[in-house]
Amino acid sequence: MTKGHDKVLAFRGLTKRFGGVVALDHFDMEVDEGQIVGLIGPNGSGKTTSFNVLTGIYAANGGEVELLGQNITNWTAQKVCEAGVARTFQRSRLCVELSIFDNIMIGNHQHLNHGLMFNIFQRKAFRRQMEESFEAAHELMAIFDPPLAGRMLEAVGTFGMIDRRRIEICRALISHPRLLLLDEPSAGMTEDETRQLMDDILVVRERINGLSIVLVEHEMGMIERVTDRCVVLNFGQKICEGTYREVASDKLVQEAYLGVE
Amino acid sequence: MDAGLLGQFVVNGMMLGMMYALVAVGFTLFFGVLDVIKFSHGDVLMVGTFAGFSTYLGISALGIDNAFVQLIGVLVAAVCSMAFLGAVIARYLVLPLKSAPPLNVLLITLMLGTVLRETVRLFYPDGSNPKPFPYLLPTDSWAFGSFTLRADSMILLLGGLLVIVGVHILINKTKMGLAMRAVAQDEETAKCMGINFTLIVLLTFALGSGVAAFAGVMNGLYYNEINFGMGLLLGVIGFSAAIIGGLGNIYGAILGGFLFAGLQTIGAVALPFSSAYKDVFAFSVVIALMVWRPTGLIAEKSSERV
Amino acid sequence: MTDKSMDMLIGFVAIVLGTVFLITFVAIESQIEILGLIVLTAIAVVVSARMGISTRISEAFASNEPLMNSAMLLATLVVAFWFREDHFPLLMIATVLLYLTACLGLNMQFGYTGVVNFAGAGFFGVGCYTAAVLNQHTAVPHLLVVVLGGVIAALVGSILILPVLRTRGHYAAVVTIAFGIMFKTFLEVNDTLGGPQGLKVPGMEILGWSFNSNIEIGAEIELSFYLNYVAIGLALAVLAFILTRRIERSWVGLSLDAVRLDETAAACFGVNIKRWKITAFTLGNFLIGMAGAVFAMMLGFIAPTNFAFGDSLILVSIVLLGGMGSPWGTVIAAGLVILLPEKLQAIQEYRFLLYAIVVILILLFRPQGLLPRGLRTYVPGWRG
Repeated sequence: MTKGHDKVLAFRGLTKRFGGVVALDHFDMEVDEGQIVGLIGPNGSGKTTSFNVLTGIYAANGGEVELLGQNITNWTAQKVCEAGVARTFQRSRLCVELSIFDNIMIGNHQHLNHGLMFNIFQRKAFRRQMEESFEAAHELMAIFDPPLAGRMLEAVGTFGMIDRRRIEICRALISHPRLLLLDEPSAGMTEDETRQLMDDILVVRERINGLSIVLVEHEMGMIERVTDRCVVLNFGQKICEGTYREVASDKLVQEAYLGVE
Repeated sequence: MDAGLLGQFVVNGMMLGMMYALVAVGFTLFFGVLDVIKFSHGDVLMVGTFAGFSTYLGISALGIDNAFVQLIGVLVAAVCSMAFLGAVIARYLVLPLKSAPPLNVLLITLMLGTVLRETVRLFYPDGSNPKPFPYLLPTDSWAFGSFTLRADSMILLLGGLLVIVGVHILINKTKMGLAMRAVAQDEETAKCMGINFTLIVLLTFALGSGVAAFAGVMNGLYYNEINFGMGLLLGVIGFSAAIIGGLGNIYGAILGGFLFAGLQTIGAVALPFSSAYKDVFAFSVVIALMVWRPTGLIAEKSSERV
Repeated sequence: MTDKSMDMLIGFVAIVLGTVFLITFVAIESQIEILGLIVLTAIAVVVSARMGISTRISEAFASNEPLMNSAMLLATLVVAFWFREDHFPLLMIATVLLYLTACLGLNMQFGYTGVVNFAGAGFFGVGCYTAAVLNQHTAVPHLLVVVLGGVIAALVGSILILPVLRTRGHYAAVVTIAFGIMFKTFLEVNDTLGGPQGLKVPGMEILGWSFNSNIEIGAEIELSFYLNYVAIGLALAVLAFILTRRIERSWVGLSLDAVRLDETAAACFGVNIKRWKITAFTLGNFLIGMAGAVFAMMLGFIAPTNFAFGDSLILVSIVLLGGMGSPWGTVIAAGLVILLPEKLQAIQEYRFLLYAIVVILILLFRPQGLLPRGLRTYVPGWRG
């Protein structure tokens, strides 16, 4: 697995305000291709907001977002997705009425044929595409949660939170994105489940060449084990960056999390 | 078009604006507190007016002829009964559907409006025909050329203004108003702060419905006629006004109400060949406005957490 | 007997029972008998639900879909044939079929995509008036008129599209309500379109075959001309049904659901929200308009009072009662909502009130409707 030195993502002076609150304050960050970068910081420091600006849900008030050399600042969510970005959400956003397969296929939207002609009249061809997609989704689900892989046609609502988390990750990975944004994927999981989750993600990374990951987490063990680099946010500003070791022993970071005596 | 006639139109427009504003305020209050659109609002207004009318009949039957007493009786009956109805609707139809898709609340209140409308039409004595609303206000008028200033118009305008000011004070200067605003901003935090969420919701609905009942009685006093269908159009207009002004914003609702009345007046003045076209004109402009500024002239509050 | 044949048998028995019920219901006149029949059927339905029989029936239907669908079609033809010489029953059946088509269109809009449309009767009316005007003043072939009814309705709908595209449902709601009211008012004040008195509509005629004259076979048999309209109504309904089914069981249906259930997340995965809302709204209005065009030709006369807000609410009630997103549910609900007040004269006057109460109860206690929509099966019977 080659780790290129091309930048897959760059935030330059990214700023986002909500009325009087400055959620992101000239935030700079870079992610190289193939890297796993941890984005950490106390609650409310702007981590999810940076994801939301990146994926086009919020418009930036200043600064730039660059993806694979292209300036994607303020692109629509759809175009950001097409450029190769996939994400999970802090509060699970699955369609609980729909089946696991349906949910994962929403993630695969850009690779599916949505023409009315195709879907209404070319049913044989549609069936083929559907079966192929099912294979792919099944394979992916089997990595993260084998029991679920045998229940792909059941409603997501039947499953618990941890299973749903895994379904959401499959939804993000099915389209073979260039950049995966994980927003607190291990929240609520036990240590074993967390370890399992990261192992599974690393397995998938092997299969998808050039996949880069930005991981927002509070579970520091996971960050330490898995990330190449860390970026620490506090009040929308980057206060430190480096390996986990370096960052954990930084005084500013400690103050941000624990306060000043 | 001489000045007198124009003045007539203006006064008429202001009356309409006042009534629409009062209805719109209700819509906006409900949306602010519970993120719901209570479509039955217009029909609650109508029921309130009929309640007031029945009270008038009752009071007259008792032999009380004093117009002032009758007026007070009508207002109190209408406002209180509708405040009660509003709270009941909130408690049994709206709150239970809090976790359902917002579409369901919209639909259920729409259907409730139909139930109210049809119930009056079918079960109120001779319900399908318009009823003459009594002249409870002084009928003096002063003529200035072709412009006639009616005393009752002045009184109604003043009354409406007082109610609006009253609502403003209630929302902004009292503890209950503070609780309402807190709940509108963030339900969970308000609950954590010890605010009784259910009570505030019921009170908000009672307030909005009571204000609508007042608007209904105003309508009856001004036109001296009420009918079972009056709520539908008023409701749609009030709702449109609330949207134009930006849902959740009381001043926007008031602005929207007067704006709609203004549009109707312009339509009536500019297109004299049929008065019905004024509605077509006004609604077209409203639809166009919503195309241009969908969240209203003053932005709607957004509460989605991503 | 194998499982498969058992399934088929159960399905057929259910269909036969249903057909017998329908024929009896439409045929008998005495109010008491009708009431009795309704009560009996209601009890039977509740009991069978309790005993799990209805689940068994739905399973039977689900595992033999093509066969069951054909059987239902056959059953409809049997019913039409039974009443071949009677005007009124056929008129009712045709009305049910046309309303069904319109409601399937409505279902596409808010059952799948979540786009509320409270101007259903308005778009239906657009189709009606298109047929009226074209039939009266032009020589456009009538089948084309039907299609044009749909096209014009879709075009009129596109005027409303911008506010309808807004995220929150209440914008689409208020815009469509306003439009519905405006449309009716416009018709009433506008004398070129007949004003409040309405317009006459020349009946349908295809290649010289007039739909408005009874069909004579030999010297003795005279079939009601409404049979023609039942035929075309059935054709439209089947078309709408197949379209709905195929769309739901495809990536298009999935996208529509995604738009309804979670727009923000869907957008993050590349779903073009605007495109799907426009598609659903336009396609739905097209179906509604076509149904309207045929309806006008069948009635021979239309007036603005047919297209009031209350009528739009009836269409919405049908979709809710049957189950949002459930085509067969819509079929049953359409039948109930149209036929019951016609047969039970006593409740005719109260029908708006009753519908509204029923919908309120449904929303409170059984929001999924009579025949809840199941999980998506892209290919019936496929298990992956």
